[in-house]
Amino acid sequence: MPPLKSLQHQFPSIDSNLLHFCASHGIFSVEDFLVHDLYMLVALAERQTSSKGLKEGIAQVLTFLNNQHFPWMNGVELLESTQHNKHFLLTGFDGIDTLLCGGLCEGNLTELAGPSSSGKTQFCLHAAAHVAYTYMCSVLYLDTSNSFSSKRISYRVNRLLASPNKGEKGRSLEGIMSSILSHSVFDIFSMFETLHQLELSLSSQLFQAEIQNSKLRLLIVDSISSLITPILGGKGPQGHSLMLNVGFILKKLAIDYNLAVLVTNHTVVGEGGNSKPALGESWKSVPHTRLLLSRDQMSNICNMSILKHTSMACGQTASFRLDG
Amino acid sequence: MEIWSLPFSPSQRAKLLSAGYTYLHSFSHLSPSALAADLDVSPQEASDVLRVVTQAGMMRKPDSIVAGAQTAWDILCEDRTMNHITTSCEDLDGILGGGISCKEITEVGGVPGIGKTQLGIQLAVNVQIPVEYGGLGGKAIYVDTEGSFMVERAFQIAESCIQDIMDKVLQTDDVGVCQENLHVNAILANIFYFRICSYTEQIAVVNYLEKFISAQKDVKIIIIDSVTFHFRQDFDDLALRTRVLSALAQKMMKLAKKFNLAVVLLNQVTTKCTDGSFQLTLALGESWSHACTNRIILYWKGNERCAYLDKSPSLPLSAAPFSVTTKGIRSVASSCKRMRTT
Repeated sequence: MPPLKSLQHQFPSIDSNLLHFCASHGIFSVEDFLVHDLYMLVALAERQTSSKGLKEGIAQVLTFLNNQHFPWMNGVELLESTQHNKHFLLTGFDGIDTLLCGGLCEGNLTELAGPSSSGKTQFCLHAAAHVAYTYMCSVLYLDTSNSFSSKRISYRVNRLLASPNKGEKGRSLEGIMSSILSHSVFDIFSMFETLHQLELSLSSQLFQAEIQNSKLRLLIVDSISSLITPILGGKGPQGHSLMLNVGFILKKLAIDYNLAVLVTNHTVVGEGGNSKPALGESWKSVPHTRLLLSRDQMSNICNMSILKHTSMACGQTASFRLDG
Repeated sequence: MEIWSLPFSPSQRAKLLSAGYTYLHSFSHLSPSALAADLDVSPQEASDVLRVVTQAGMMRKPDSIVAGAQTAWDILCEDRTMNHITTSCEDLDGILGGGISCKEITEVGGVPGIGKTQLGIQLAVNVQIPVEYGGLGGKAIYVDTEGSFMVERAFQIAESCIQDIMDKVLQTDDVGVCQENLHVNAILANIFYFRICSYTEQIAVVNYLEKFISAQKDVKIIIIDSVTFHFRQDFDDLALRTRVLSALAQKMMKLAKKFNLAVVLLNQVTTKCTDGSFQLTLALGESWSHACTNRIILYWKGNERCAYLDKSPSLPLSAAPFSVTTKGIRSVASSCKRMRTT
């Protein structure tokens, strides 16, 4: 909450008179304002000589506060909005799409955890290629370990273009691959900056008009754990709060702009020798859907199981094959 | 944008938040002296804070949805011209798609005596092969934590490398020019050697590398031999180890991408108990296994050395035999092999 005096420039009715009055009651920031008894404040303002100006100022602060939160929606509106907007994006693996009852859900944060070399990056690359091809939209791939392989994407897109499909003429490899964007992020603060820029781009009207036919629908972060492991733990709660904040921002982006967000996580060895997803207990509640991936030794078959899902039972599994 | 997402130190952040500065716009029209008085810090620190804030607040007009993002098509076109660093063994180059690729971290692990350091020295020499002869013409940085780098061996390998190039060039009659440009001393002069004796030195070197590489401008490979050594014995706090190692890996990733160079990390092995039986796995644990882009495991197959590509984003997992000879790493068909000592 900003200090009251910083609002002075924005709203002329918040003048030095009001600031002096508030200071005399121990109110220096907007947070103090919220916590204080507002009826008492208005009543005290009435008794002052410049009561009209003071009351105007107080009303202005209250309007400023009201604009800070999301508008209320009732259940029916929420259901309509979900049915209208929240579609499923097919990943291209039939077994997985059935397992997830339709694919990656827009507005949801999906986490894919798995031990090293289990197929997480391959799954992300294939899903990116498939979504860019099927929905003619753009995909943003935030890569933390330089594993974005344009070769694999081109291989997948070529396979899709070669498959018999009516009415798909005029689409080229270049066109589809140009709608898949990749950016490298190597630490948590550059991630915040990138997500902030993304939010600004998505919210600006100008941008939406320009990219009418290549709207962003899928955001992939591979992998979020590489950014968080260097800061998690240690003396302060710093790392912890940054981790939860990144989860919060990703979910906010997903809901506000109707994106499907897919993040990958690695696994650590838990009690009893079982592998469990990394990042600890607090992270468990952050993603909407959690999937665990495993690969049989020396094979191309990967097994995916549901750890957590908003509408499917846990424990169900499906397999897919990595070709090439 | 909120203050907690900016790179401040924890004490600065705590002071800012307790004074009520949570959003960027709280800083509008604020002078350094006013901020210093408010936060009870020195004017220098206050102006540093304001500098970070103004930088974050600059509205950069993004040319794409996120500044700095590249399309997959552009990356594909770039990758077609990307060079690989050959290992001098055709089979090994084959499974690696031409050799060690730039912009990626490759982890190489194996039992003692299998040839990890040999491979490291071979790569430090091969990166310097001039562009005309299929190499990168770059310099190498060799960070030695174990003391296993032998200059005499590097000399031997460099000599053999030059000999091989001369043999190829003989067919095109450019011998004279070649002889002038390639000299063993020049090759050795282009290997920058750092000897590390503790893990703090290792962290310090990695932090220093960015400045060093910006000054040198031609470095194309960084080899750390081995990344495990100082993190195994006497390292009590495993949580700290995970944090330090993952931070190290991320910094190397950033260097690899920024300067378009290859990073090779040599690792040791340890035993893991799975289902009652003991298995050899790479050291440093599960979290570290996610830090690299590619992973190669070197192992013995009878009397022969083999390499297995265990992790790669674009290549199929496969194995290839190789051998360590007096000339360096070569394919199995060559003679004068160094036999297994155990």
